[in-house]
Amino acid sequence: MFCESIPQFGTHEVYVSLFRDVKNMEELRSKVGTMPYAVIDASCICCREQLFSAVYKALIEWKYNRLRTKTLNSECILSLSPTSNIGEAFKRFGIKEGTKNIVCLAVVEKGETQTPGLFNAVDGEEIEFTDENLSSMLDLEMIKKVC
Amino acid sequence: MSQEVIEQVATYLTPNVPITPISQGAEAVVFTTNVHPYNASACKTADGIPVKYIIKYRPPKKYRHPSIDKTLTKHRTLSESRILAKLSQVPGLHVPRLIACDVYNGCIWIEFIGEDLPQNHGFSNLKNFLWMHKSDPYNTAIQEVLFKVGEQIGLLHWNDYCHGDLTTSNLVLHQKDSDWIPYLIDFGLGSASTLVEDKGVDLYVLERAIISTHSRFADKYNEWILMGFKSVYEKEGKKGQQKLKDIIRRFEEVRLRGRKRSMLG
Ligand SMILES: Nc1ncnc2c1ncn2[C@@H]1O[C@H](COP(=O)(O)O)[C@@H](O)[C@H]1O
Repeated sequence: MFCESIPQFGTHEVYVSLFRDVKNMEELRSKVGTMPYAVIDASCICCREQLFSAVYKALIEWKYNRLRTKTLNSECILSLSPTSNIGEAFKRFGIKEGTKNIVCLAVVEKGETQTPGLFNAVDGEEIEFTDENLSSMLDLEMIKKVC
Repeated sequence: MSQEVIEQVATYLTPNVPITPISQGAEAVVFTTNVHPYNASACKTADGIPVKYIIKYRPPKKYRHPSIDKTLTKHRTLSESRILAKLSQVPGLHVPRLIACDVYNGCIWIEFIGEDLPQNHGFSNLKNFLWMHKSDPYNTAIQEVLFKVGEQIGLLHWNDYCHGDLTTSNLVLHQKDSDWIPYLIDFGLGSASTLVEDKGVDLYVLERAIISTHSRFADKYNEWILMGFKSVYEKEGKKGQQKLKDIIRRFEEVRLRGRKRSMLG
């Protein structure tokens, strides 16, 4: 699991894991609304910078009480999207038919969450969250179309 | 710079983001920092040199009603960010990359462009660069830079954007393999515009800036800029030629209006 904080938001921590060949995608998909983290289709993420710029944006919205979704985690998914259409954002960046690899993302207040085992519900091979690994899973055409 | 404004920003950014003030304008204050807003790995280059970022902050104006002030700040911050983001996608056009944006607080982070010129000639904007070469004002390095400046403005206009405040400080030179590449900065007054008037005014404002700071060499300098500007349109066939003619005609009209105004005092 990769952990980082956003300098301006010392109150929070960001946890990220990248999983390959996830086997229980249907199960995750049915639980997505109740999980304490966001599940993102890895084929839409080209690099760390892309994901973290969305986290930054979500934290700004949170700070000014402008969240447009229920949680900070889901707000990150919306922030990945160039439009403000929530349904569209989830359809594009969330897990869907054919998703194989996922990025799990949790933005939590320091000390609020039991972080070990946070993503245990995922049955897949965890690989290092790096730009290199991300780009091997990327659907570039899709990204070009969307952004 | 007002201590109060600096403290506002420092509080907002928290001690995790140390800042150095570098400029205060009517509209915004500008700081540098070595901290990337969300990408910790981007604080140093591969060789371990700290990377600089620009933070541009629009402080609240006390003389405006608070809610009007908030709306205006949000509007201007958003407008500048949108333009920067759009322009970054225009092939061949050089503008600093937009990194982050907080419209509620009037804060944007942008890539830092430029460096210090040798021998204390100051920051590498066009103004200082021209001063640096005043003993050899017509050398080919200058001609090349000014031609490229013209090209940048040509590309901007051809894509139907206007800068709104084209001064020689808002053209920053970035050194790459011993070449100087001009970047356009400060789109605080920028806009998407198809109007020849806006484009004519852009050209006129820059011409005036060159004349007022480098008057002895201004004719040649403006000629080189215009050559670069025209070259962009001339590559675009008949349509480009026609648009170029319209802009140049308007530019001359704007210049004439400017003269009349100054004659009247
Ligand atoms: N992206 C940038 N890179 C380097 N310096 C900048 C940048 N943006 C602004 N500055 C500096 O800050 C001053 C005021 O910025 P502005 O208010 O955007 O015109 C400029 O004249 C530059 O010296």
